[in-house]
Amino acid sequence: MVQYSYFPGCNLKTNAKGFEETAIAVSKKLEAELVEMPKWNCCGTVHTMTSDNMMRRIAPVRVLSRSKKHIDTLEEGTTKEVVTLCSMCNSTLKIVNHEVKQNHEDLEKINYQLEEDEECYEEDMEVKHFLEIIRDNIGYEKLSQSVVKPLEGLKISPYYGCMLLHPDEAAIDDVEMPSVLEYLVESLGAEVIDSPLFKFCCGSYHIVDEEQIVDTQVGKIVEAARLRGANALVVACPLCAFNIDHQQKIMKDKNHGKEPLPVFYFTQLMALALGVPLKTNHFEDHHIDPKPLLKELGLTGKKKS
Amino acid sequence: MSFEYLEFGKEEKDFIEKIEEISGQNVYSCYQCGKCSAGCAFSSSMDMTVNQLIHLIQLGQKRRVLEANTHWVCASCLTCTVRCPREIDVAALMEAVREYHLREEPEKIIISEIPKKAYDKLPNIALVSNFRKKTG
Repeated sequence: MVQYSYFPGCNLKTNAKGFEETAIAVSKKLEAELVEMPKWNCCGTVHTMTSDNMMRRIAPVRVLSRSKKHIDTLEEGTTKEVVTLCSMCNSTLKIVNHEVKQNHEDLEKINYQLEEDEECYEEDMEVKHFLEIIRDNIGYEKLSQSVVKPLEGLKISPYYGCMLLHPDEAAIDDVEMPSVLEYLVESLGAEVIDSPLFKFCCGSYHIVDEEQIVDTQVGKIVEAARLRGANALVVACPLCAFNIDHQQKIMKDKNHGKEPLPVFYFTQLMALALGVPLKTNHFEDHHIDPKPLLKELGLTGKKKS
Repeated sequence: MSFEYLEFGKEEKDFIEKIEEISGQNVYSCYQCGKCSAGCAFSSSMDMTVNQLIHLIQLGQKRRVLEANTHWVCASCLTCTVRCPREIDVAALMEAVREYHLREEPEKIIISEIPKKAYDKLPNIALVSNFRKKTG
């Protein structure tokens, strides 16, 4: 069993509990356990693209420093990797890590601020998304061998969103033609439905005060998947998940729109296929309940009579 | 075809310099191919496309740049940044315009006016990223 230092980020403790719990459960089954790091703080969610604002870079650097300390306490930890599940954390931490490695003067300023926390970052960490761990360290072969219940009948359209692929420093896969989610979905026995809008931004934080922008984006993303025959979407970002899930419901209630498509986190699909108890998924937090679809396809874990 | 004479003095030059300083980008690298606007997921919601805004930055037209909604609609998905043939971090230019505005008027969104039920419903990452982008 390999252990990884795992940085959860704020949302996996609130809206996306199912994402975290299923990830930890499947990580144990795949012998690559995610162990939560102590004393973590919010990464800031969006990376500042200004050249002169060091304040906004302090939080993610503190996370990197603390994860290094955490790794030293793990029994069989990898030496240099901190693992994230949320795409926004992945992007923020990776970009800052890249920046401070390039610019020592900035790192000195940030480390000066971190003295108060008794932290000092030494540029010795790598940030990995759990999808990268699955692809590079665990392997799709092992994943498909661990499947106890192939997800037959699920037609999944992978939706990457922006932050898994942009910018180049944070990309976990080819920017214009990624395949990591496709291979994952196939390994679990489900069918992949390609959609041209796989990284068409969902509207992100506009959900707070410009909801109509999000509605337009979500409408297009879901319609593109539906037209090609998908019966569900898979995502890796809690904000994409909320926007697509919640706004589909709102739009359906408002305009009596088409039947919405349920949204899964990739770890939830893995949990279903690997035989993790259904309650770990926290489907009650979803606005569009995926259970009727799963029941129809006989994937709820109860044996078909 | 109509013509318009634009001022290009100290104020214009200062504006360009400040945007370049905040973003770390050279605005004159842009040759107006329009690839950023063509691939932008939000072009239809913008009153001016991304390359048009960059053109106005090149001309130092501060008032017109700040009046546009382009940089506020931009959600930093970075599609333009990864595609720019001149390797300009286009999204960083949008961020620089936002920052320029926020360093003068720090509240684009009034946090106290957001209804309480929105806080109960919305994920933390939506709130944190919105406040980071829209307050100084």
